Amino acid sequence: MTPLDPVRVEILANALRSITDETFVSLMKSAYSTNIKERKDHSTAILDSEGRLVAQTMASPIHVSSMLGMAATLRARYGAPDGGFQGIEDGDLFVANDPHVAGGTHLPDINLARPVFHDGRIVAFICNIAHHADVGGMAPGSMAGGMTEIYQEGLRIPLIRLFRRGELQQDILDLLLLNARVPREREGDYFAQIASCGLGHRRIGEVIEKFGGDAVEDAFRQIIVRTGHRIRQGIAGFPDGRYRFEDFMDDDGCGTEDIKIAMEAVVEGEKITFDFTGTDPQMTGNFNVTMNATVASVCFAVQALLDPECPNNQGLLDAIEVTAPNGTVVSAVAPAPVAARANTCQRIIDVAFGALKEAAPEQSLGASNGANTTLVFSGVDPRSGEAYVYLETLGGGLGARATKDGKDGVQCNITNTSNLPVEAIELEYPLLVEEYGLVEDSGGRGKYRGGMGIRRSVRPLDHTCSFNGVGERFRYAPWGVFGGQDGQPGRFVFTDADGTETKLVPKPPTSDLRPDQMITVETPGAGGYGPETERPAELAEADVTSGKVSA
Amino acid sequence: MAWIVGVDTGGTFTDIFAANPETGETRCVKWSSTPDDPSRAILTGIEELSRLHGIDLKEVTALAHGTTVGTNALIQRTGGTVAMITTEGFRDLLEIGRQTRPSIFDLQADAPAPLVPRIRRLELSERVRADGAVEKPLDLETLPSLIERMAECGADACAICFLFAFLNPEHEQAVRDRLKELAPDLRVSLSSEVQPEFREFERFNTTAINGYLQPVMEGYIDRLADGLAALAPNATLGINQSSGGLMTAETARAFPVRTALSGPAAGVVGAVHVAKQAGKPNILTVDVGGTSADVALIQDYAPDVAPERDVAGFPIRLPMIDIHTIGAGGGSIAWFDIDGLLKVGPKSAGAVPGPACYSRGGTEPTVSDANLILGRLGEELADGTVRLDKEKAIAAMMPIAEHLGWTVEQAALAVLEIVVSNMVRALRTISVERGHDPAEHALMPFGGAGPLHAREIAAELGITEVLMPAVPGIVCAQGLLVAEAREDFVASRPMVLEPGCEDSVASEITALAGRAQEWLVGVGATAENGRTSLVADARYVGQNFELRVALGETPMGQEPDVPSLKTMKEAFFAEHERAYGYANRNAAVEIVNLRLTGLVKGHDLNEAGLGEADGAPKTRGSRPVWFNGDAPHDTAIYARPDLAAGSVIVGPAIIEQLDTTIPIHPGDEAEVDRYGNILVRIAS
Repeated sequence: MTPLDPVRVEILANALRSITDETFVSLMKSAYSTNIKERKDHSTAILDSEGRLVAQTMASPIHVSSMLGMAATLRARYGAPDGGFQGIEDGDLFVANDPHVAGGTHLPDINLARPVFHDGRIVAFICNIAHHADVGGMAPGSMAGGMTEIYQEGLRIPLIRLFRRGELQQDILDLLLLNARVPREREGDYFAQIASCGLGHRRIGEVIEKFGGDAVEDAFRQIIVRTGHRIRQGIAGFPDGRYRFEDFMDDDGCGTEDIKIAMEAVVEGEKITFDFTGTDPQMTGNFNVTMNATVASVCFAVQALLDPECPNNQGLLDAIEVTAPNGTVVSAVAPAPVAARANTCQRIIDVAFGALKEAAPEQSLGASNGANTTLVFSGVDPRSGEAYVYLETLGGGLGARATKDGKDGVQCNITNTSNLPVEAIELEYPLLVEEYGLVEDSGGRGKYRGGMGIRRSVRPLDHTCSFNGVGERFRYAPWGVFGGQDGQPGRFVFTDADGTETKLVPKPPTSDLRPDQMITVETPGAGGYGPETERPAELAEADVTSGKVSA
Repeated sequence: MAWIVGVDTGGTFTDIFAANPETGETRCVKWSSTPDDPSRAILTGIEELSRLHGIDLKEVTALAHGTTVGTNALIQRTGGTVAMITTEGFRDLLEIGRQTRPSIFDLQADAPAPLVPRIRRLELSERVRADGAVEKPLDLETLPSLIERMAECGADACAICFLFAFLNPEHEQAVRDRLKELAPDLRVSLSSEVQPEFREFERFNTTAINGYLQPVMEGYIDRLADGLAALAPNATLGINQSSGGLMTAETARAFPVRTALSGPAAGVVGAVHVAKQAGKPNILTVDVGGTSADVALIQDYAPDVAPERDVAGFPIRLPMIDIHTIGAGGGSIAWFDIDGLLKVGPKSAGAVPGPACYSRGGTEPTVSDANLILGRLGEELADGTVRLDKEKAIAAMMPIAEHLGWTVEQAALAVLEIVVSNMVRALRTISVERGHDPAEHALMPFGGAGPLHAREIAAELGITEVLMPAVPGIVCAQGLLVAEAREDFVASRPMVLEPGCEDSVASEITALAGRAQEWLVGVGATAENGRTSLVADARYVGQNFELRVALGETPMGQEPDVPSLKTMKEAFFAEHERAYGYANRNAAVEIVNLRLTGLVKGHDLNEAGLGEADGAPKTRGSRPVWFNGDAPHDTAIYARPDLAAGSVIVGPAIIEQLDTTIPIHPGDEAEVDRYGNILVRIAS
């Protein structure tokens, strides 16, 4: 057939976006996990007959990389020599989560993929991924620090069929559920994902019926080709050259410190490659990242710098090449633990921004808080006698930009989850929040100031609770760019009954906290942009009068 | 003889609609808006109403108004200088908000800066705990120095926002009382009065916005009320709230944040009125103006209500009609994106320079230009008072046609197809994604440009009936006339639904009922027209979002029934099942808020309606109209005033009227009802 005109492609692209939106909402509504229902920690996508990404509605680019990782595993297993697939039948539904053998990024993210057949062959896959509240392993939630092997992190699911020719494989589901802590809730999450795949399958069928299979496949192709062309045009705008950058993570909570992430970006015309040679070997603790999550992080950085409005599909991903030697912290191999990978993904993005700052000075920014600062308070509520766990991740500074200050107190890079209201915390848990505010002087000075970190002080009410936490950029400060100064690193502080303050390690292990004691977290600020001498006088004055910066 | 008047202020026109419920007469005036002070256009328009239609303004008993003054002050950041007094240790809470960014990919996009900058956010030592007990007593010692600070900053309003004030408002009230003594000119908003519900950021922000709008709204209401008192001394003024109910001018002065979506909400109330006339309980509305389209869903004659909405980038937590807005209107510009795909909007030519065909200097191709090229719009609009230039439209569209290698008509059709697909997406969001099947609804377009696109939208969504209101341009003003007076009372007390909780539920309901009754008496309601409606915001224990669970209505004067534990739980499960497809009957449920709404029935218009048609309606000539890309149809033109009740027109046809143009596609059948509404049945 002759290629579709650009009007038809746009209308089809709109229809596909409607499908991923609708399946996203349907998954959110019917799931059981609070993670999915309320934090929207899930994504949906349509892949083409080769398993390439066409359209998505996503919570995170890391999710997309997991779905594509699963598709690559499908291709490796079932790919026909002349393209397409063999050995997959209509009504099959695949499930997987393993980062090392099935393209996943950490075990709680459960991936589903359902092939769509038309005229006897596969024309698309409907995929979704959702962060389950628990997949077994050593600790509730399957995310705790201190784990040193993936086996401790939960159930590893290779690429397997949950449905065969439309029939649920009950014995497989029984196995999956037995390995989760609250099987009844997880069953709800699985069925929400299955139903969302079914809905997407039906909707894509309607689109194919309306426009014809050939037209839909041509639209898939054009969407990817046009996006690839678009992003390569953007890359060509970067000056050719080699751009190097490196940064260090504080530690892995298991004894490894000063973990180096090194990168060289090479721009040649419309081609860009990122090489992580020189990055430290994978670590003992669970901050390791598998290659496909590293690719997603780098692609995020490029898109954010170049073209935030660019459709996110295979065309974008294929325009960017990422390499790393096997077995580094950004290309971890089995049996590396990976549960807390998000902290490292944040840092990979910082490093990519750092490398490309000379190539795109107008779009780049000082380093942001670059972490997922996490607090966990747990204990038994003296009011009800019931156990509780309060976990929260806090934002911090966003890096200063070429034309304005960094935003104070926000999530950065690929994290954008909201906080829990103080009133919700105190109604639900026997805790008192003593302070919640911005950390004065934490934004790196510069022509434009880096964003400020967040301070939160918490103490238990009428009982002794347990506390642990995860901090990053608590030793290695968020750096400034083009003469801007570094932002202030974060810290955990323990205040004893007599007012004595003690600074804790960046990843404090579980310890007791009495009602007359208090934990304060100050999350990292962010780096400044340009020399402070060039700071507009009115901004400098406003910072001092508002108390954001001391005189 | 008594007239009632509805006034809707739009960006370009102020619509005034008058009805006489005794005689069933209705009158209408359109007047150019005066954005610098919208009350001017309203008052002149009312004089015009009297002059043109011979209405004695002394006979006007009520004037209901949908205002955009608050919305515009928020969008243009022209509100007052508001300060905030908050709990010590929490002054940055307003700035941190929910710590999220509007877009994860756009490094330059920030949520708007808070309306109260840090320097005006002041703290007092005090603290209330989650059980309402005082953890730290209020210390008013430093208040005089805070007042000095506010004066130095030029603050003309102050938001008082303490943690847990929704449970225990005493500290907020004590500060207000002292401020009244020490700074009597300072306007004050209390979080425990503006929005007494838990979740401090949303409550503080809603309160800050209220303070920000107070100075603006006060001046506006005063000018309007004074002018009205001089012109129509017997008219009481009612202001529309975003929830679609009227409040008094006095309440609007105190709580201007309630007008944030006053105008669009009136449109949906008007749509409900038209739906009732036509006997169509389930409707999807699409209100298309020059720059944007508002879509909403009506189920069983009731609009969907959302607990919270963003207005101008700020979350406002108050009940508001659930309206979804997208950048698609008559002025939306067609352009090619970097990847070569054709896009329409969100950039708009607006009123200035406007679409190319309006000859006001616009040169970019817009949706209106496309409609003109295809003959769907005529070259004369509004009875010949507006002339459109087809040559200019073609010149603007030509680059699109050349880029595609198509005729200019094919290019114009493509522009319409894309803008329709954008509107379809928005309509799917409020229907399919919320568990409603659009095919079970009729589509009601209004606004000047709505009827032009309705047919294509309906076809895409599987909708078979399109209901065209008699006067699509004044649905908002009409809605104001029939709007109910409304006041919401809320108790925000989390209570787990378990044996033993009935007494606390009952005492909360009794307290709310007392306040509602007092309000109903105050506005002169009677057992015939006044009632209360009970709603619980409920959730499973441990969840973070609530569902609205309706628990029944009670006529004024009667004590609302206290629902049993079982009734409340069952109602929650049913709602959970509707919204999410399942309900876990074993999990614990809690009520977060109890809401009792006082409602007073609006006016009954008793419209006289149209005479019966005798024979086929006459045509006013014909013109070629492109309904598809192959060839134009020679199409009969009708004037809407020529149509009578029972008139039937089979497409292709064009129906023109003062405020809109309706294309009837080939094979579709349009039938006029006795109120002048047109029901179009789409040919299968």
